Amino acid sequence: MTTLEQTRTGQDQTIEHTIQQLREVYADAPEMAKVALERALPALKSQALEAQASQTESAGRIGIRLGSVSELTVIARFAPGGAQRLRAMLRLLNGNFSGGKKVGTLHDMRFVFLDNDTKFLFATAYDGAWDPYIDDFATKIPDEMDIIFTAFEGWPGIHSPDVKDWIAKHQIPAEGWYVAHPDLTVAESGRLKRVGKAVEEFLDQVS
Amino acid sequence: MATQTATADTAQQSLTVEQKLQKMRELYADAPELGKAALKNGLAMLTQELAAEGHAQTAGRIGARQGKVSELTVFLPFVKGGAKRLRGLLQLLAGNFRAADAVGTVHDMRFVFVDNDTKLLFATAYDGDFDPYIEDFAAKIPNAMDLWLCNFEGYPGMRNPSAAADWIAKHQIAAEAWYVNSPNLTATETRRLEGVGTAVDQLLDKIA
Repeated sequence: MTTLEQTRTGQDQTIEHTIQQLREVYADAPEMAKVALERALPALKSQALEAQASQTESAGRIGIRLGSVSELTVIARFAPGGAQRLRAMLRLLNGNFSGGKKVGTLHDMRFVFLDNDTKFLFATAYDGAWDPYIDDFATKIPDEMDIIFTAFEGWPGIHSPDVKDWIAKHQIPAEGWYVAHPDLTVAESGRLKRVGKAVEEFLDQVS
Repeated sequence: MATQTATADTAQQSLTVEQKLQKMRELYADAPELGKAALKNGLAMLTQELAAEGHAQTAGRIGARQGKVSELTVFLPFVKGGAKRLRGLLQLLAGNFRAADAVGTVHDMRFVFVDNDTKLLFATAYDGDFDPYIEDFAAKIPNAMDLWLCNFEGYPGMRNPSAAADWIAKHQIAAEAWYVNSPNLTATETRRLEGVGTAVDQLLDKIA
């Protein structure tokens, strides 16, 4: 959270001043870094100007958002036997998560096993704010959530009043978040795909 | 590792849905009560998912791909002072990294400081395969890449793209599972569709 506050304070300073600060933190960097900084400075200045117009914001309780798209990154410890169960289940599913579609605000998610199967990384890109997103999972795919998350230490269950605290406790907010199309929600991309198809059909008919 | 996974997947593909469900029940026999109950309640959806054709693919050298969209997840060790520099850089960019627009195949990227600022978790979604993706970065935004990656141990520099790709692959951990809502929508196709959408809106405005 302090990062966000720091970011905002940074916005109030002039870009020149911030670039001066950046030069100072890069003063003791490896030679490669200093060269890269000098080469990148012109582009960096214009990016910094653009960035002020499209800066990341808070996604609500925790995490950051750019435009409509937010990030959620959780690292949790496996419960005994959890890694084995989860891996076998993910392999059986072989990339099919029709449950993900039901949520309707989920862009992507990855499941990564860490540190000799003792820890787990779950990272997702989604639309909107943190609280409604978690609520969506709880109402639309509660069983899938419990099947996956019982693999972790201390998972209280998706229907537990403590579930949001558990997630927030294990979430690490990103300090940088780039989205190529920040205004494109999952719903809007669905609409655009239909528009694109309709236009093609229309053009076929007139040709 | 990738080969093992592929073999395991092929073997599992030949199982019937009923056999897969049976395996799942065995797996969850010693799960916490919550997990067992969830398995029972979620059986209908699971059966559907198990019956569907497999979607998991690889992104070439390393990483998972679904349709046209791939994932790359790395944990990079900071050099001394590296975390402070990268944080300063990200703050200047207001947490954003618009230089990546020039690459054209990036969907999203996150920068997460972990383990007391000793490591960075970098995770991205992109189009296509691992090697061409890294080559693209090296060709299009080498400066921007050096500027942030120089903060990590052993980074060889983007002017040496094949060494840089090896270095990234060495720190990469392939996702065990990867879900993409629109697996066939590349970043390029998204831009085209946004253009079509705007044109259609304007056309409809004119007719109205």
